Amino acid sequence: MALLNFAQRQHLPIWDDPRESIYHDVVIDTQACDGCKLCVVVCPGNALELVGEKGAKKSRVKDGQRGCISCNNCQAICSHHAIEARQYYDFAGYYKQMGLGEFSPPRRF
Amino acid sequence: MARSNALEAEDLEQLEQNSGSASAIRETPPGADWNPIEEAFLRRRSVRKYKTRQVPAHLIRRMLEIGRFAPSQGNSQAWKFVVVRDKKLIERMEQYCVDEFKKMSPALDYTLYPQGSLRRWFTRLKARLLNRLDHNMLHPVPMTVLTSIAEGRFAVFHKAPTVILLLVDRRGVGCPEIDIGIVGTNIVMAAQSLGLGTCWIGFSKFLNKNKEMAAQFGAEWPYEISEAITVGYPIGDPAQNHISRQTHEIAWWEDGQKEVFY
Repeated sequence: MALLNFAQRQHLPIWDDPRESIYHDVVIDTQACDGCKLCVVVCPGNALELVGEKGAKKSRVKDGQRGCISCNNCQAICSHHAIEARQYYDFAGYYKQMGLGEFSPPRRF
Repeated sequence: MARSNALEAEDLEQLEQNSGSASAIRETPPGADWNPIEEAFLRRRSVRKYKTRQVPAHLIRRMLEIGRFAPSQGNSQAWKFVVVRDKKLIERMEQYCVDEFKKMSPALDYTLYPQGSLRRWFTRLKARLLNRLDHNMLHPVPMTVLTSIAEGRFAVFHKAPTVILLLVDRRGVGCPEIDIGIVGTNIVMAAQSLGLGTCWIGFSKFLNKNKEMAAQFGAEWPYEISEAITVGYPIGDPAQNHISRQTHEIAWWEDGQKEVFY
């Protein structure tokens, strides 16, 4: 049995259709965020923005962003542990991800 | 042949019994803390925002020195390094790639056109046909970055103060492109240990298409630009936190049985 069937192999996922192309996404804990803006600055895909009143600004993921490339730097640099990557790329059809398990930080064996 | 093998087995047995401290097995108990080298790998990120401060030349030399001792197939060392620290030249490299992407994006990215339009349908058909020729470069991930670069939302060389081009000697043993990945990992991890940020730039291959620039970098047969690594001081501390990643299926064969782990 082939890992991808004939129909899947013929189907190239449509990039801007959320049912066919699931892009990486990050979740920001607005309680923990202190609005230091570092994540907004380092994001290479311009996927984050700072919003809110002066003095109480919080970082958030832009609506409908298509820029996140799952570099995870926002999570890596946040000194308040306010950012977490929760999802990996997946695509329908030809580029379907295979053999993946759940998301996990480094596990010591 | 058989005789020499027997001697070898005897020697090995004796060596194993007499093994002194020099060849003692180092034990690592289950669940032990990460050692410094493991930590370095876990905390390496691809850094795309750099401070403008140039990296001292001796640190780049140090990184390339670690690269020189990378393993390669048949010890063929089928690589050549080109270090670019000239700001004007890096800007020209960037501009050339952006100009190329500006041509490719409207020709391939059908999502730029309204749903149901003839242009979208036609562009998607073209993208699908070309995908059959190069399904790696036309993977959905580089495709979306392509338009981001064309529209100026994403940089190719990330305005890094230093760019190291890795040229592959196509006459290398076996699959020399793999050796480029290995030598580059040596360079990247040496940079990590020095507190520098790096990023692999696969799009650097486009520079091969620019005859003048390729000649300038010595990217002429048998050499070809295979990859580039940007180097600089990162903004923020990308080594501060561990990140999460997806686990992958691991097929494990032992004692005639197969188990699957993630």
